[in-house]
Order: sequence, then C-alpha cells, then structure tokens
Amino acid sequence: MADEIIQIETPFQFNEENRREFDELIGRYPIKEAAMLPTLHLAQRQEGYITPAVMKHVAELLEVTVMKVKDVVTFYPMFFEEPVGKYVIRICHTLPCALRDCKVVLDHLKAKLGTDVASETNLAKGTTDDGKFTLMKVECLASCDVAPVIMVNDDLYKNLTPEKIDELLEQLPN
Amino acid sequence: MVQEKRILYEHLNVPDINTFDVYRQYDGYARFEKALAEYQPDDIAKMVMDSGLKGRGGAGFSTGLKWSFVPKDIEPRYLCCNADESEPGTFSNRYVLEKNPHLLIEGILICCYAMGIETTYVYIRGEFTLGKQMLDAAIKEAYEQGYLGENIRDTGLNVNIYTHPGAGAYICGEETGLIESLEGKRGQPRNKPPFPAVEGVFMKPTVVQNVETLCNLPFIVGNGVEWYTEMGPTYADTREDPPKPDPNTGTKLYCISGDVNEPGVYELELGLTCTELIEVAGGLRGEEVKAVIPGGSSAPILTHYELDTRLDFTSLTLAKSMLGSGGIIVMNETRNIVDCLLNIMKFYAHESCGQCTPCRWGTPWVRDIVQRIADGEGRKTTITRPKFGVTESGRWGDTGETEEIYEDLDLLEEVANNIANVDTMTWNTICVFGIAVSWPAVSYMRKFRPEFEAAIREGKLVTLPVAEATVPPEENYAYQQRFIPKEFSELE
Ligand SMILES: Cc1cc2nc3c(=O)[nH]c(=O)nc-3n(C[C@H](O)[C@H](O)[C@H](O)COP(=O)(O)O)c2cc1C
Ligand code: SF4
Ligand code: FES
Repeated sequence: MADEIIQIETPFQFNEENRREFDELIGRYPIKEAAMLPTLHLAQRQEGYITPAVMKHVAELLEVTVMKVKDVVTFYPMFFEEPVGKYVIRICHTLPCALRDCKVVLDHLKAKLGTDVASETNLAKGTTDDGKFTLMKVECLASCDVAPVIMVNDDLYKNLTPEKIDELLEQLPN
Repeated sequence: MVQEKRILYEHLNVPDINTFDVYRQYDGYARFEKALAEYQPDDIAKMVMDSGLKGRGGAGFSTGLKWSFVPKDIEPRYLCCNADESEPGTFSNRYVLEKNPHLLIEGILICCYAMGIETTYVYIRGEFTLGKQMLDAAIKEAYEQGYLGENIRDTGLNVNIYTHPGAGAYICGEETGLIESLEGKRGQPRNKPPFPAVEGVFMKPTVVQNVETLCNLPFIVGNGVEWYTEMGPTYADTREDPPKPDPNTGTKLYCISGDVNEPGVYELELGLTCTELIEVAGGLRGEEVKAVIPGGSSAPILTHYELDTRLDFTSLTLAKSMLGSGGIIVMNETRNIVDCLLNIMKFYAHESCGQCTPCRWGTPWVRDIVQRIADGEGRKTTITRPKFGVTESGRWGDTGETEEIYEDLDLLEEVANNIANVDTMTWNTICVFGIAVSWPAVSYMRKFRPEFEAAIREGKLVTLPVAEATVPPEENYAYQQRFIPKEFSELE
C-alpha cells in the first residue's frame, strides 16, 4: 500500500550500529509506537533528513501506518523533510536574545554565508549553494544568560559577536 | 544585599561532580539511603506535603497534593520528569542536567520510592544534546553502582530511568502534551480531566514533575521538613476560617536575563523583591527599569511601579501575575514595549499546536495586529459623538466633542480575550497555552497603553520615557486583571 502512495527511490535500512541502538530503545516502552521520536532522531542522524523511505521503514519497525509517521514528522520542527547543509546553524531570536542584539549576529551570518533564513517549509532558502550551511531561526534555546546564542549542529556557542562568528566559521572543517 | 542561598546549586561547579564518585563524596545518594533506611514510602509523601513544596515548572501546584491524587491500586504507575525547558527566559534545568545529573537521579529515586513507581521517563528537549549525554552517562553509572535497576540496595526496590528526546516543540512542555509526545504522537495536549495523576502516559497514573521540583526532594528528606520550611515566607489565606497557611517554602533557581549586568541563575530563598533580585544580578544595565517579566514570557508584565513585588507564588498571584518558571526578563528605558510584545507573539503564533480554533487562529491574529501597530499601520478613527454641554456660544447644546478610538487596541484585547479571558480567568481552549498568549498581550497593552497609542498616532514605533509610557496603578483597571480577593495577609 505505502509504496503506491509515496514514491520510494532507494529503500532505507538502519546500519548495524543504529539497528542495535534501536533494538535497545524499543525495549524501554510498553508500546512500540512510543519509540517514535528517538527512532526518527536516529534515522535522521544516519540519513541527514527524513525521506519517504525512512518514514516507511520506521512505520514498519513500529508497526504503525506511514501516515502516522508523517503526521509526527510534520509536527516537530527538528525533523527535516528536505536535505540540509552539513552544518545546521540555529540562531535564537526570542526576547532575551533580542534584548542582547541577536539581530546584529543574524545579519552578519546572512551576509557572511550569502544566504537567507530557512523557513520550515522551505529549507533550501536558507541553505548555501555549496550545501555546507543551513541557517534557521529558532525559539529560546534555554541559554538566555549567555545571549545571543547559536547552535551549530549539536554544539552551543555563547555571547556571540560578529567577530566571534568569523572565528567560529573559520575553524569549522569543510 | 540579599545573599544567595545555594542548596540545589551548592556543588554545581565542583569539578567532576557529574561522576558518581565525586557526587558520592558530597553526600550523594546518602539522602536516598536515609529514605530507604528510616522512612516508609508514606512518610516521604507526608514530608513532601508538609514541606509545602510547590511545583517549579510553571503551575506552582503543591507537589504533595498532586501525589495524593495518584491511585495506589492501579499498576504500573509512571513518573515523567519534565526537562523540556522551553519557556523563554528559563535556563536553570539545563545546568542541572549538564553539570549535576546525579542530583536529579537521586530526586527521581526518592519520588519513585515514595510513590511505588518503577519506570521513569525523563523528557529532555531535543536541543539539549549535551544535557542528555551527561544524564545518560550518569544513569549508566548509577546502574553499575546498583542504585538503579532491579533490587536496589537489596531492598527489593526496582527503578528504571529512561531519557526521551523531544524535537523542538514548545507545547511538549505542557504536561499532557508531553505525555502524548512520549507516546510517539504529535504533542497535542489532552482535555483535562482526567488529570495525568489518574490517567496519564499509556493511560496509567502518571506523576509529571519538573527537574527543579525533583531536585528539592533529597534536601527535604536529608535535612528535614523543619529546616526546609524555615526558608521562604508562609502567608495566611484569610478567606478561610481559621486562616489556612499558604507556604512559599524553599529556594528558587531564579533565571534572570535581559538588561542586567550579570545575567544568570541565582538560587535564593523565595520571597525577595524584584529590585533586590536585579541588585543581586549585578544591577540594571541602563538608567531605569521600564518593565520586568517575572515568570517566563507567559507571565503578565510588571511596571516600574511594581518593583517591590515579592517574587514568590502568592505575592505574584496577588499582583495578577505569576512566578511561572522563574524566568525573569528585565527591560530598561530604551526598550519599546510594542516591539517586545511583537517578539513574544511571534513566538506563540509559531508554537500553537493547532488543535483549538481560538488558539490556532487567534494567536496569529494577535501577532498580526501587533505587527501592524509596530509597522506604523495601526488603525484608529476619530468619531464625533453628540454630547450635551455648554457650546462655544455659551448655550446648552451639542458640543460636538471628538474622541479618538484606537480600534486596533480594542481589537487586540477582544481577540486575546476570546482565546482566554484574562478578567474572568476562563479559557476557550484545551490547554492553558491560551492564557499564556492573552496574558502578555492584554497586560502589555493595558499597562503600557501610551506607547501603543503613540505608535498608532505617529505611524511608527515611538519609545516614550518610562514615566510617560506606563499607566499608573491607582486609576487603572489594567492592574486588576484577575479576580482574586485581596485578602491574604502575612502569617509570620
Ligand atoms: C504551554 C506550557 C508550557 C510548559 N512548559 C513547561 C516546561 O518547559 N517545563 C516544565 O517543567 N513545565 C512546563 N509547563 C508546566 C507543566 O504543564 C507542568 O505543570 C509541570 O511540568 C508540572 O511539574 P511541577 O509541578 O514539578 O512544576 C508548561 C505548561 C504549559 C501550559
Ligand atoms: S490552546 Fe493552543 S496549544 Fe493548547 S491545545 Fe489548544 S491549540 Fe494547542
Ligand atoms: S532567548 Fe535566546 S536562549 Fe533564551
């Protein structure tokens, strides 16, 4: 059924390490469906973003419909349905960061990367042409004491200024 | 100056306190062992009730009371630790997770022992990668040391703790949204009742508790109720006869950000004033305080007239605001309140889960109105009403007075009040996110009305001096948003 609804080019499988992690995860919950978020995180880490094939595979593993997986993926901002850059830069723009001039940092990032800010439905808009960076705005990252802050993939950077951004971007490996 | 009183945060910066061995040197797990050795589960529940501990996650609900609602005859029961910390202005849970995760585990163990719970899920917001790593490592150590798993310390107690990552949705901090999300669905809150204590995750009784709340438990057990209740004020609710004690006991991890010199987390006894807290945080950055948000972005704003309000649950409720998550955001004289409200409304419009029509449509609508005002396109009309009085010619007649109507401000209030009415405290939505939207919207607008009017009148954002921008309290209904009789008095 699912194959008819969504176009699947290459099937998705967990690699060995992730499969082991998944097997451990699933034992934590009395119902399989509850492992949805950690499983999707795992899949996104392996594949880069949530493709239709990922959704199909996750649906099979958790014994739910593909639509149910899609339903969840569309709800949460951290799951991407399109490819993103190697480095995802999340810049916080909520009030405490705004009071500490996050706008200056954002403008600097935009100019430096030569890209706009991604929107949830259009990630390509915030992705650089070389596919290295994706720039997106996010809400409070619970680090308002060291505002303004950004996250580059999993790492938090604090008290930013345009100079610190320059330094940071330079030291990121290609 | 008020002194910091570090209890939860006392050993936060001890090197390697995140490891079992070092944590152990600082009384680690001794309080849990004391609980096992000296108290029955019911004794612990009673101690928590007597300590007056109130939930630190937002609602400020009595923890002991919440526990008493959990039916003891339904198995299994669950504990969900709320580490979704996403209320703008709040960042105290993060430090616990990253630096002292064993303290949280000890708190969880005490709660599980008291409530006969075997499974705990810690719902950590997806962005806390480091926090999750540190907690996972600590959990692993605790299993190895025999403080988690089967038959803990040979007492027959079984406790398992699992971490569960969120994925960037603010609404999953709401307890029933969290439960839905934990079950692998969209994080859309459930109708209450039934409350989670009765029917929560996997339809079983569930205790949902914030990280900070759980971290208080080792100290209540370790040092005793008397020691604990000496901290913070206890008020008397004189609506009841005899007056009912209304405890605001313990310390709070106040998170202070915005225009202060040293933003950060300060652990202080509950009940200090806004002015005192700003002083503790290195003083104001700027000349004058314009406004203070006392409990995360959902809390109604305080003006410079209200800076002597004590930052505890009861005092802030009486001031028609709330302590919420304890995230204090300070704004100085250079800030424009319209602009600040716009920022916050963008946040809420983005985070509405979309289940209830008033919230799904109302929140972006409020945002659009504020955006329009900020862009200088706010709507107003001038109307001429017949008014009986002495005319220019000295006779009685129609004086033809004109009045300016700020349509957009009335509309803003109406739309916000239709999501959740701040005057009657009734909401047309499933969860109280609705109030978190209309509280800031209406309170900012009412208390700083001159600034909103100026923006509409001048066609651009105008930052007025503090005294002019603020509506004074005496004459104004802006300060009387909530229907609560002012009959509390201090007990001590
Ligand atoms: C919209 C909304 C967001 C919330 N976000 C959080 C949160 O991020 N962290 C938290 O601990 N509580 C949050 N809460 C409060 C929880 O619903 C719940 O009251 C709390 O976790 C209970 O724990 P406590 O009694 O220990 O405070 C939120 C509530 C609402 C309505
Ligand atoms: S009030 Fe808003 S956030 Fe809460 S359930 Fe309704 S739509 Fe969702
Ligand atoms: S507002 Fe940026 S981290 Fe809180």
